[in-house]
Amino acid sequence: MNRIALLFPCLLAFTASAQTVLTGRVTDQKGHGLPGANVMLRGTYDGTSTDSTGAFRFSTSRKDTATLFVSYIGYEPDTREITIGPGPTTIRLNESANELNTVVVTAGVFEASDSKRMTMLKPMDIVTTAGAGADITSVMNLLPGTQRVGDQTGLFVRGGSGEEAKVVIDGMIVQNPFFSQSPNLQSRGRFQPFMFKGTSFSTGGYSAQYGQALSSVLLLNTTDQNQNEGLGVSINLANTGLNYDHATANASISATAHYGNLKPLFALVPQNIDWTHVPEFGGGSLTYRLQTSKTGMLKLYSMYSNSQTGLNFVDPGSESGKTAFNQQNRNFFTTSTYTDSWGNGTWQLLSGLSYSHDTDATAYGTQDFGRGTDRLQGRFVLTRALGGKLGNQLLFGTEGNRVTYRNAVSGTAYSLVDAYGAVFFESQVYAGRKLAIQSGVRGEYSSAINRFNLAPRISMAYKTGLYSQVSLAYGQFYQTPDYRYLYRNTTLSYERADHLILNYQLIKNKRTFRIETYYKNYAQLVREFTGPNMTLGPYDANPYRFPWGQTNSTGYGYAKGFDLFWRDQATIKGLDYWITYSFVDSKRLFQQFPTLATPSFISNHNIALIGKRYFEKISTNMGLTYTISTGRPYYNPTNPVFMADRTPTVTNLSFMASHLTHIGKNLTILYASVDNILNTRNVYTYLYTPARADGPAPTRYAVGPASYRSFFVGGIVMLSRKAKVNAREL
Amino acid sequence: MKTLIITLFAALLGATAPTLAQSPQYKQAMTDALTGMNKKTDKPATADILASANQFERIAGAESAEWLPRYYAGLNYVYLGFLGGSEAEKDKYLDQADVNLKAAETISPKNDELAVLKAYIAQARLTVDAMNRWQQYGPLFQAGIEQAKAMNPANPCPYVLEGSSLMYTPAQFGGGPDKACPVLKQAMEKLATFKPASEFAPGWGKQQIEPLLTKCK
Repeated sequence: MNRIALLFPCLLAFTASAQTVLTGRVTDQKGHGLPGANVMLRGTYDGTSTDSTGAFRFSTSRKDTATLFVSYIGYEPDTREITIGPGPTTIRLNESANELNTVVVTAGVFEASDSKRMTMLKPMDIVTTAGAGADITSVMNLLPGTQRVGDQTGLFVRGGSGEEAKVVIDGMIVQNPFFSQSPNLQSRGRFQPFMFKGTSFSTGGYSAQYGQALSSVLLLNTTDQNQNEGLGVSINLANTGLNYDHATANASISATAHYGNLKPLFALVPQNIDWTHVPEFGGGSLTYRLQTSKTGMLKLYSMYSNSQTGLNFVDPGSESGKTAFNQQNRNFFTTSTYTDSWGNGTWQLLSGLSYSHDTDATAYGTQDFGRGTDRLQGRFVLTRALGGKLGNQLLFGTEGNRVTYRNAVSGTAYSLVDAYGAVFFESQVYAGRKLAIQSGVRGEYSSAINRFNLAPRISMAYKTGLYSQVSLAYGQFYQTPDYRYLYRNTTLSYERADHLILNYQLIKNKRTFRIETYYKNYAQLVREFTGPNMTLGPYDANPYRFPWGQTNSTGYGYAKGFDLFWRDQATIKGLDYWITYSFVDSKRLFQQFPTLATPSFISNHNIALIGKRYFEKISTNMGLTYTISTGRPYYNPTNPVFMADRTPTVTNLSFMASHLTHIGKNLTILYASVDNILNTRNVYTYLYTPARADGPAPTRYAVGPASYRSFFVGGIVMLSRKAKVNAREL
Repeated sequence: MKTLIITLFAALLGATAPTLAQSPQYKQAMTDALTGMNKKTDKPATADILASANQFERIAGAESAEWLPRYYAGLNYVYLGFLGGSEAEKDKYLDQADVNLKAAETISPKNDELAVLKAYIAQARLTVDAMNRWQQYGPLFQAGIEQAKAMNPANPCPYVLEGSSLMYTPAQFGGGPDKACPVLKQAMEKLATFKPASEFAPGWGKQQIEPLLTKCK
């Protein structure tokens, strides 16, 4: 070997005269020259970069044939056998698939992830949006396609009720994603935004991987690593908390503990509610992540919380106009997932196991209305990537759930077990970079109603330009009826919704425009008859009534409308603003409705204007949010037309600011927010006193927010010197 | 017995590897490529850096057992990641930096200079969109720096990177001259005594931090 090496200089000198000059040009598919492409002969030092016109010229001592290798950033490399000779060679390179030139299926999906791909909302947006109180679902309620329903809990998507949306963490359904609801008051979500690296919010037409949701799924993916290191303390008007994070090379642990009591806040902000036990809550969570191999990751997450609330709520049905409500909630949720991949990502596995337990000890007046649920769940999904660079893939999966429901209604105990299983299959196929088709099918079985269903889903997207694309989605979605109906009747069918969605979006230079129009058909909805022999009884507008009438699955309805979204992060440096407008027209014949009518949770027009800006000099982030929701229907017993009345329009202007500083040497974040700055007297709905034959005419009570203008202040202190903070976390 | 074979094998490799790989042609090509790379002016044109990256990739193509051509190709792509046009373009360059880093790591798995390169790539990724990428790439940058320091305490490069990163980080985020200067001074001390491991091994950093040190008292 040494000898050969020594011979090289001689060889070089010897062959210099016998060199051949190779010339040619490297271009794209349209024939435009690619400057700076790398051209070489495999296994030799011979080669060069192309000049500004894409031309190359170099000499080689090789004879006869050689392997020419050409590469250029953003293009598929080209390898070809050439005959060494004087003739010019032209190499046309193919652009490689990337986020800009490859279509993605977007109908009905709003992605908010931290990855570098272009997204419309990032996790940081959740905590910096004014008027959302760092609550994930509140921010989703500012996205197109959603409704803001101030007096009810949940996600209301495109004419769907709060029960029609599911929250999914790492693929596992969360049984009780929200804190238990008190009468007429909206509850927050249980999960902290910082737990998640990505959020995908579907407003319809979603993947066959998910079921049991007629209108929407909110998919949350937990982070793979700690955000901080060491101990942190947070304190605000409602809550004190401790968190501890520690990471080693391949494992990390996070622990949190908190105690909250709204007394200090309520002492400062006038309340519209007659509280008898100011909301008080405590709990903790533990997260453990282990990198089991280069590709394997095990995550364990557990949380427990305990909360207590008491109030006298507006109840026109009672003599005094008020009824005492007391509730103690205990919630435990644990989930573990294992993900891995083999063959350089050809095979991907996602498996999970979770258990949740939730009990409410609830009393309305003197009556016991306790309830509880347990859910045990397993899930297994395998993805097979097919060859090619475009991301063609097949996905198979199955999931099994065993859910136990318990209710106590005025001394009567009900319980029900539903064993629910599903299998699903989905394929994603690219026909070139401009057209993608995702098609799938989901089969489900529910033991509670002893029925199967088979739901096909298909969506496709076509790239119409460099920055724009259109998508189309169709799917069938099934949901087992509300368990409270099933206590008395297990012959009900699945409730069903069919979605048809058409979407256009344009993303260019940090500006996003998106319009989506949809039609949803509802079928097999549960109808309840409180009169004898399946006849309608008097309508009971109490949203907390326990259904006791006879039921069948003959309800139906529709929702149609369109959503607009505009976001601009480019025009004014540092300013990020977005505007959404959602229009929905929806009618249903369901529950106790005597006729096809618009349900009380629908407002036809929803507008949100959100702006925020980071002021670097004072290290402060400020944001403003303005929302408008037009009136919702309410039941007026004095109006012969059912649900014909509308509440006034609800508007809200809110502000939030966060400031980064140091207390001593500890990094500190201070924040303050004002909700409903203009002190608008919003009304969410009206409740009527019951009509009595010899009594006065029914009168109405307004139901509004717990407080009008309110404010909130707090801070977080990092006790660890290593703590670092993202400006956007402010 | 097994240990003996391994020891013998290692000795054999150790003795023959340099002569095996470092042909005069390789030495000549590396000398040319490094001269070209270091000739760059204060404001180098992206075309020149790309040409330099290409040159190293060509050497890497011919010398599959050498990690240094891959290292320098990666380093050039990091520079392009800082200088390139749009965010998407910068990311494309950094994707190519990653390709070279991975190739180098397969040739030389435990290498402090490659840990430095890994940190440098993370820093460039972060800089593309600092506001949104802090969480993801901040820890990766730090991990690369710590790894490099642990593997070779004498190497000034991790200190150069850490110090300059701190200098560009606002004080309220845990950066600023107060935090940066001690690290930069450490880097200078290490640069004064540092001997690159081989003829072509990296020994950069002085030019990067000299202008920054003027901000230190």
